[in-house]
Amino acid sequence: MSTHVPETETETDTEAETEVEHSEPLAPAQEERMRKKAEARADREERARQEAAERATGDDDTVHLKVFRFDPEVEGKQEPRFDDFHVPYEKGMTVLDALIYARDTFDSSLTFRHSCRQAICGSDALFINGRQRLGCKTQLSDLDQPVRVEPLPHAEVEKDLVVDMDHFYDQMEAVEPYFDADELPDGELDEQRQTRENREKVKMSTRCIWCGACMSSCNIAAGNNEYLGPAAINKAYRFAMDEREGTERKQHRLNILEQENGVWRCQTQFSCTEVCPKDIPLTEHIQELKREAVKSNLKFW
Amino acid sequence: MSQSYDRGLVEDFGRWREFSAGMWAWVFHKFTGWVLVGYLFTHIAVLSTAISAAGQTQAIAAENDVYTTVITALESLLVVRILEVGLLAVAVFHILNGCRLLLVDLGIGLDSQDKSFYASLVLTGAIVVASVPTFLAGVFG
Amino acid sequence: MAERYSSFEPGGRRWLWQRITAAFLVVVLAFHFFLLHFVNHADEVSFLASSARMTDLTYYSLMVLFLITATFHGVNGVYNALENQGLTGTKKQVVKYTLIAASIVLVVQGIRTANAWAGLPTF
Repeated sequence: MSTHVPETETETDTEAETEVEHSEPLAPAQEERMRKKAEARADREERARQEAAERATGDDDTVHLKVFRFDPEVEGKQEPRFDDFHVPYEKGMTVLDALIYARDTFDSSLTFRHSCRQAICGSDALFINGRQRLGCKTQLSDLDQPVRVEPLPHAEVEKDLVVDMDHFYDQMEAVEPYFDADELPDGELDEQRQTRENREKVKMSTRCIWCGACMSSCNIAAGNNEYLGPAAINKAYRFAMDEREGTERKQHRLNILEQENGVWRCQTQFSCTEVCPKDIPLTEHIQELKREAVKSNLKFW
Repeated sequence: MSQSYDRGLVEDFGRWREFSAGMWAWVFHKFTGWVLVGYLFTHIAVLSTAISAAGQTQAIAAENDVYTTVITALESLLVVRILEVGLLAVAVFHILNGCRLLLVDLGIGLDSQDKSFYASLVLTGAIVVASVPTFLAGVFG
Repeated sequence: MAERYSSFEPGGRRWLWQRITAAFLVVVLAFHFFLLHFVNHADEVSFLASSARMTDLTYYSLMVLFLITATFHGVNGVYNALENQGLTGTKKQVVKYTLIAASIVLVVQGIRTANAWAGLPTF
């Protein structure tokens, strides 16, 4: 993720000292573990040495960023343009790291969203080198230079890399994204337990971080603003497939999804599945909901 | 009071080169679909010359009724023959990719959807190349 | 928000029929191509030959069914494509009825042609 590789040398030194104190005989398994640890330590030290050497020689090693700029409130910035930033490269640097460096060092007006820096908060989905990715989860070493950073396509740009997410949130809310069981347990404090199998079924769908990458990649959502879009449908999947909610609630959820602009608009282009930073099999979930909807309709006939 | 800016074409920059297999499959499927619908309408229009040919018993026997002459005339044109090969390519791809989509709809093999797309492309190519002799037979003679 | 999506026209039935006709068409279109380009050659076509095929009741009904499913599959595909583009309101209604009218014309004309070969009235 976004954390820099720490200076490891000092740490390993102190560790080595403490290891020596173990003089009593060890169980074979423990010995094996110790040996592995020692090997790993040697590996780390070797890597740290290499990195130090690289740092010493490659001081002028920079990354070239081309960043989309636009500010409606400042005259002269209302015409969108690309700014170039040359950021000193450090091993393990992500696109977000580079943007933060550029903002803190070169241009404090450079605007973008970020928070946790570890692919959990979902605020830094960006269009990087022609693809929706999380800035904090994308290593600069994986990208061709110059690295082109743009705000998410198919959303209104507010400023620089910040887009209006309102419509996305509306779509998410349209599927009623909260647990709501038909029947509640008798005791107020009773738990509503889920079977392991059922949990496994919805597991991937619970991973969504509301970053909007899928929605931005979807060709249909781009052309048709009323289409619920992959994120919202996946959210609905998470609850519709949850057996604890009961059949009535599930039917209600399917009724929302089988509207004209619900699941049927999905054209199985797999764009959303490709870009999802949390590897959610979105297309698979949408397809399953289509089949569920058809099945429940056939039952009605 | 922030006003937002619609990026217009900037938004689509570089997109087509970034398309993945699934997206190309959709683009091709849609394109071939349009061609096939268009062809369906012209096909019926041309074939319906048979309606006016239906009464001409003598002409039919002599094989110079309206329908026979129109079709034979069309088939003697090289352009038509080449277009027919194109139609075959379009139809075969639409069939093969259609099978792929049916599998996707049934939730089968979603992980190898890109491979099945490439397979349908290769298979289409092979079938079309193998059919060229049959489709162009006699047009040069 | 949900009321925004309540068009009371669930697309599920059309989606399912598009798949059912697809499965049918895969087989019949392949057969059609094979029969009329490989078994019989397109340049040797004549009214007599077409007529000979069409008088067979099985072949006749297969071709009529082929025409109807192909028309549905094709026209519904076009309608879906336009729907995906976000076509709504009056325009959508106009397009819908135009497509339905075109389909009817196509199917009627196709059946008349088949009847001409089969020696049935072409009304």
